[in-house]
Amino acid sequence: MLWRALLSRLGISLVTLWVVSVLIFIGTNLLPGDVAQIILGQMATPESTAALRAKLGLDKPPYLQYVVWLQNVAMGDLGISKAGLGAGLGTPIVEILEPRIFNTLRLTGLVTVIAIPISLFLGLIAAMHPGTRLDRAVTFSTLSLISVPDFLVATMLVLIFAVFLGWFPAIVYLRGDETGWVLIKTLAMPILTLVIVASSQIIRMTRATVLNVMSSPYIEMAILKGVPRKRIILRHALFNAVGPIVNVIALNLAWLVGGVVVVEQIFSYPGLAKLMVEGVLMRDLPLVQACAMIFCVTYIVLIFIADMATILSNPRLRHPK
Amino acid sequence: MKEVKIFQQMYRDGHVSRREFLAAMGALGITATTAGSLLTSASALAATPTRGGSVIFASNLHGPDDTLDPLLGTSTIDYTRSNASRNGLIQIWDDMSLNAELAEEWSVNSNATEYTFKIRKGVTFHDGSGLTAEDVVWSMDRHRGEDSPSSIKSFFTNVTEWQAVDKYTVKLSLSSPDADMPYKLTQPQAKIVKANATDWLTAGSGPYLVDSFQAGVKSTHSRNPNYWRDTGQWLDGIEITAITDMNARLNALLAGSVDMITSISPKQIQKIEESGNNVLSVPAGLYGGICCLKNTAPGENDDLVQGLRYIQDRERIVRKFLKGHGTLGNDHPINVSYGADHCHELPQIPYDPEKAKYHLNKSGYSEAELFVAPVTGIIEDVCLLMQANLKKIDFNLKLKKVPTDGYWGAVWMKEPLNVVSWNMRPTANSMMGIQFGPNGNWNDTFWNSDRMGELLKDSLAETDAAKRHEMHCEMQKLVSTESGIIIPYHTNVLDAHNPKVQGFSNVPLGQFGGNQWMEHIWKNA
Repeated sequence: MLWRALLSRLGISLVTLWVVSVLIFIGTNLLPGDVAQIILGQMATPESTAALRAKLGLDKPPYLQYVVWLQNVAMGDLGISKAGLGAGLGTPIVEILEPRIFNTLRLTGLVTVIAIPISLFLGLIAAMHPGTRLDRAVTFSTLSLISVPDFLVATMLVLIFAVFLGWFPAIVYLRGDETGWVLIKTLAMPILTLVIVASSQIIRMTRATVLNVMSSPYIEMAILKGVPRKRIILRHALFNAVGPIVNVIALNLAWLVGGVVVVEQIFSYPGLAKLMVEGVLMRDLPLVQACAMIFCVTYIVLIFIADMATILSNPRLRHPK
Repeated sequence: MKEVKIFQQMYRDGHVSRREFLAAMGALGITATTAGSLLTSASALAATPTRGGSVIFASNLHGPDDTLDPLLGTSTIDYTRSNASRNGLIQIWDDMSLNAELAEEWSVNSNATEYTFKIRKGVTFHDGSGLTAEDVVWSMDRHRGEDSPSSIKSFFTNVTEWQAVDKYTVKLSLSSPDADMPYKLTQPQAKIVKANATDWLTAGSGPYLVDSFQAGVKSTHSRNPNYWRDTGQWLDGIEITAITDMNARLNALLAGSVDMITSISPKQIQKIEESGNNVLSVPAGLYGGICCLKNTAPGENDDLVQGLRYIQDRERIVRKFLKGHGTLGNDHPINVSYGADHCHELPQIPYDPEKAKYHLNKSGYSEAELFVAPVTGIIEDVCLLMQANLKKIDFNLKLKKVPTDGYWGAVWMKEPLNVVSWNMRPTANSMMGIQFGPNGNWNDTFWNSDRMGELLKDSLAETDAAKRHEMHCEMQKLVSTESGIIIPYHTNVLDAHNPKVQGFSNVPLGQFGGNQWMEHIWKNA
């Protein structure tokens, strides 16, 4: 039974992936301005535009371009970036992606390690003492921070910690050989920004779910039996709240991989999201498509894992009648 | 030094030229090197270069298509890397004069069709091999031919041959006279690299080695210990990166995370100066303007164009929108930063609503539509001001706002009235030729004048300075009265830097003194 659930989830994921690939291809082709024209810019002539178009394979019909692209992607060949194409040889996209993926994963990893324990802790604390001053303080601050867009959080933090106090650098300028404390200090500003934005959501979700479970009859039973509140929450309520919490964590992780465009721009952090923006600016469509596919795969994989966790944590889903 | 300040202001306002400024400083008993840096900064008076230290330079744009191949260069960051790690045959100095670089000396025949370059001996590339005439010929031949990916190949269409006469002599033959050729050779794309280069990291001979290079991230550079020139090279190391977000770039400078930032906006100047950092403002030829197509209505009507010229409140544009960091436009591209070729005799066209009204009435039009995209800093503000001023004289100018994306393909040179921005070219002739010449691919007002073509050709072959100036004056007059271009203002090149970093030159052809700062700036401890 478990296997069937897993297989059907997997099937749905693959279909989603395919639909998204079509959408990405259509979307990138809808971008205003012809690629060849964008590359040549103000100095384009009709002849040079036509020549470049032929060179890039843009004179073929779009559906053919899509089939060729999908075949290559399925084989793990993400294509050639237009970078350096002028001189004859383009740069393989995989080569461009490698260091960027490493950077993105490093930032995401650090944020996750910091944000998740903090959020779970604060969320549980708030749930354990609903209506107290502590709970209200947590609720108030998380609600305020969710309402503030991430670029404002980032800019405020830069103004306070980099410009006025001078504790941390205003941009992430990696030399490449940083480890330990130096690395943390260099990455401090984006980590802080992302931890603030990501934790707020997880804290709210944890608190709400746990409180929700707390009002169910079996918890009432436990209370009547005289089980201590701490034990009720950690032993009985939390496990039943795992599903929604894991889901919100997965969504936040996926957002950290692909959605932190603004934060990466503000801190000039050479990650995947910034690469995609640069790709759009240069109309480097193969690069944009590759980035979009990576983000999409990340989302689908993480949500797949979250779904599985939900199923496994819930006996009713684990053993359906 | 009150006089210095007065002259600085006059220079900034475009009342005196670079050359006149340097002469005035000489009269005040200030040495030429100091005077060069005084063009923008008063603190240079007490400065002496010190060796050591390193700087982080943050440009405005970068991405996966950053390149170390000089001839593919298209952006400030590419030019900067090119200048740090390579040399050209000839280079431009502060007063826009030509100076020997890898070409120890050069000569030209009487009608400017044949150049001979003597190549410097004892120059080594970063991989240790020596520079010979072969390397020069190989590097320069890459700009020729239909398939050449060079971004400046149009400069070299009249080249028939680059020839290595012997190991240290190169001869250049041209199919038509070109007295401007030495200027074209100063372009960052025209750097000399090792023949058949495959490893771009070590292909140059410049003052700084390329230690690492990651496109779209950064490059690091250290002093070339075997450099052929024994002056300059004060810095131990240079790091070159970019921060695309304008406010993040400013914050990085304010927080001390970087030492130099390019392309600041006039609105940021006050903040930068309050924080104790320095602004480098160099008058330059780049401009934003309005194209009225002469081959179609309404631009074909001379009175309409003339009316639109008189309605430009040029002083206000420079004072309010550019905060003084620009020069008045006179409806031709050649402003004071082009040096001797600028026609200072030509009267400045004033803001005159009465005359504008007269011409617009005579044209028979009472409304028009102008396509506007934010192709350059303040162009939208300029168009709004123009619209408001036209409204006062009962002319209805409709502004059609379009995105910059795809602008150059879909709007520019297509819609009858549109906005444009042009960068400065190294010479007045190449600038005029590309935009108004008979063979210019980018004649963006579709104005054709036989006299203009004649003058462009003849002035290239003219070696007499006075006659040449006269020809340039006539061209500038023609463009400013007959063509369809309206140029209300020229923007200064604006950069900002940590005050510890000093010694910037004032070449107006790019950021931080023509992108060629690395060899002669220093950083005080």
